Amino acid sequence: MKKVVMGNHAVSYGVRASEVKVISAYPVTPQTHIVELLSELVANGEIDAKFIKVESEHSAMAACVGASAAGSRTFTATSSQGLLLMTEMLHWAVGARLPIVLTNVNRAIGPPWSIWTDQNDSLSMRDVGWIQIYCESNQETQDAIPQAFKIAEEINLPVMLVLDAFFLSHTYEIVDLLETEQVRDFLPPYNPEIKLDTNDPHSFGNLSGPDYYMELRYMIEEAMNDARGVIKRVGKEFGEHFGRYYDMVVPYRCDDADLILVTSGTVASTTRAVIDEMRDEGIKIGALKIRVLRPFPFKEVSDILCSTKKVAVLDRNISFGNHGVFFQEVKSALYGKTDIPIIGYILGLGGRDVTPKVIREVADKAIKDKNPEPYINWIGVKR
Amino acid sequence: MSKQIKFDSYREMPIRSMTLDNMLWNKTGSWRNVKPVYDNKVSPCILGCPAGENIQHYIQLVIDKKYKEAWETIIESNPMPAVTGRVCSHPCMGKCTRGDYDEAVNINAIERTLGDMGIDNPGWMRESEKTKKQKVAVIGSGPAGLSAAFYLARAGYSVTLYETEKALGGVLRWGIPEYRLPNCVLDGVIESILNSGPISVKTETVVGKEIKLKELEDNFDAIFIGIGLMESRKLGISNEDCEGVESGLEYLKRVNSGDNLDSSKKTVVIGGGNTAMDVARSALRKGSDVTVVYRRTQAEMPAIASEIEEAEKEGVNFRFLAAPKEIVAEGGKLSKVLFQEMELGEPDESGRRRPVPLEGKTFTMEVGRLFTAIGERADLDGFGPEVDTEWDLIKVNGEFGETNKKNIFAGGDIVTGAASVVEAVAAGRKAAEKIIRVFIGEADPPKQEETEFGIENINVDYFTKSNRTLNPRISVEEAKKGFEEILTGFDEQLLQKEVDRCFSCGVCNYCDNCWVYCPDTAIVRKDDRYEIDYDYCKGCLVCVEECPRSALSIEEEGK
Repeated sequence: MKKVVMGNHAVSYGVRASEVKVISAYPVTPQTHIVELLSELVANGEIDAKFIKVESEHSAMAACVGASAAGSRTFTATSSQGLLLMTEMLHWAVGARLPIVLTNVNRAIGPPWSIWTDQNDSLSMRDVGWIQIYCESNQETQDAIPQAFKIAEEINLPVMLVLDAFFLSHTYEIVDLLETEQVRDFLPPYNPEIKLDTNDPHSFGNLSGPDYYMELRYMIEEAMNDARGVIKRVGKEFGEHFGRYYDMVVPYRCDDADLILVTSGTVASTTRAVIDEMRDEGIKIGALKIRVLRPFPFKEVSDILCSTKKVAVLDRNISFGNHGVFFQEVKSALYGKTDIPIIGYILGLGGRDVTPKVIREVADKAIKDKNPEPYINWIGVKR
Repeated sequence: MSKQIKFDSYREMPIRSMTLDNMLWNKTGSWRNVKPVYDNKVSPCILGCPAGENIQHYIQLVIDKKYKEAWETIIESNPMPAVTGRVCSHPCMGKCTRGDYDEAVNINAIERTLGDMGIDNPGWMRESEKTKKQKVAVIGSGPAGLSAAFYLARAGYSVTLYETEKALGGVLRWGIPEYRLPNCVLDGVIESILNSGPISVKTETVVGKEIKLKELEDNFDAIFIGIGLMESRKLGISNEDCEGVESGLEYLKRVNSGDNLDSSKKTVVIGGGNTAMDVARSALRKGSDVTVVYRRTQAEMPAIASEIEEAEKEGVNFRFLAAPKEIVAEGGKLSKVLFQEMELGEPDESGRRRPVPLEGKTFTMEVGRLFTAIGERADLDGFGPEVDTEWDLIKVNGEFGETNKKNIFAGGDIVTGAASVVEAVAAGRKAAEKIIRVFIGEADPPKQEETEFGIENINVDYFTKSNRTLNPRISVEEAKKGFEEILTGFDEQLLQKEVDRCFSCGVCNYCDNCWVYCPDTAIVRKDDRYEIDYDYCKGCLVCVEECPRSALSIEEEGK
């Protein structure tokens, strides 16, 4: 059934269709609609789940950890400061290998206080061990939920789904809503082999000395590595069930491009419009959307970018002291494979609008810019 | 339970840190590797008491105003707290942990107060058990004999108590002046003991004269000898038998009998023990100018320190490092004494430095009366040679007073030589208990384990410093005038003030600290104890740390 819904509510409907058993969350702008609708759906019986109210995001994730360890399919949503408050528990979910799914609405971190979008909140959790998938449309924010559970439950790692504040969270689009019965064929019920069980009690998360800590970390990295194939396969299977296919990256008119703009999130769709405009002008330009940041799609990124002559990476984030995160990631993917210029641009922080005009400015600049000077290219800073 | 697991490859490992076996044996999972346990220790005061009185326990009962139960607790180990509460050298207080913090708890005064309550409440004494068929003869009615008689009679065994004198009490009656132990108190104590069970009394009966030991052996199932040391040691110098020279013990006996004594003369007392102090202070009260002459210095005096201090305050003179060398008599009457000056040499077997004569240094004193108080010895006529003796004392095997003869037991000074009242009480009880065990064919109890306990085991943050509550007393001036008892016991207010100072070393007194501090509410209050719910105890040991008195111990988990 197609319906016009806001991005946040698309997330809620994705959760409804995934037969989640435990939801624990704390409200935070601009995520609040997600759990607000979920609480209503739980209250009116549309979702057969336990909704655990908590006093903080730390507790929300702690509750999810407990519920997931007990064998329940578990979901939470948060944003910005809330995500940061969860940090300790986010690490726990990884070390305990719990398939929790979290939707994070990208919101800039204060101070200065801000409710508008940029990616620094989720990117500050880049190295925790959560799979990170950046969504572009309301449809994708919904479709990503059952995929995320399927991936998480197969490899025993948690998945963080990310969407832009307001540009997606509060924007209404037509979404083909998933029905629970259809999803059930795609996503079987969660029945883990090992879980908290009062009849067979085990101790979890206990101390591990230097003898085995590394092995346990090694296994997490192994799972991350396996996740590459699983994400691709699950995206394909989802397409087979619902007609919408998903992959690690989304290239656009890249085949003969001399310049490829690398983007993520909602900037990706704006960029595609600019690409069309420039192609009409005869400029050989393409775009590559990076959908999955963790595990990083090294092969896909390098396969596509090695065939072009110049790469411009658009970062809606800043890794203070080392440019933008996507820029770092792309450079590391191409290391030793090509000597084409890779240029990074920082834009749209704290919700500053990234319009087609801004992207055109970046593209025009990128055509002229040489690598690596200037090292950091700030777009639109009042200097 | 705990065993080492080895993995050769990560492939053998679970993907997350977890126990492979289930944790039903330890429901806190791997959290707890040590656990707290309630583990009461034996308080040092109890170990310090020769009679093993459960001091910590009766003090806690007093705090709860359970005075009868407190008194009953003492009576389990000592039938005469009103006596020991007055005359005991209280080694318990020397062991009191509080002594290393501020001042030891005044256990002696607490005991005395409870003892007096016992005399005032004759109904507190429970009736003895049903009369048993065995009969026991107890010879001597001093602290050892009275104690033995009490514990035998209370258990239902018929006791016949033989006493040489016309009244019971032995050294308690004849050897201790009334200003320390009034006769009325002693009478009250003896009455309560005699009322505790089937005891018949035969006074003015000397075993060996009026009745032979052999007859007692024939007529009784067991005999306890507690005759004490009632003969004064002699100085062994010339003219010792002249008029004016007397044994201090004889003098005390006359004083205690109420004899009207001539007292105007200059008096010298030889000796440094409690008898010397009692004699000197008694003579002082009778109007004498009294000098105590002791061959060592004050530091070596065996008398209780407070007795020496009181004697000094009352005006008794002391002359240290001197010993009588010669008594000069005129017409059969004492006139002068020649003293040898001494110095301290090497320590002797008692650890005290030996007095050595200073060559050529003597002095002479004009003396009206000379009292000897250099120790007492036994009169063993009537007991040898059936009963083995050693150094003029009865020889026993072990702590229960068993002599060479199967059914004859002994205890008190007659076994140990001059010792304390409380040691005699302890010996009488232990012998009585042994006799009962022989009668019913029971094995000896295991020896009590001595635990080390000191101020380091007390969490002193929970206590504020305070001074010991002293016994109320009459003034020195008042005291010197006669034989009125100097110290009085506590009233209830003072009693409560002093018992509140007890640390309750090593023994839980339900202060609730553990219960309050436990972060997992794993401590459960029961009516008369706490329990630890190990399903929730994470082994953080906050309870052990915060127990003010080390009533909790630590056990390793899985062992």
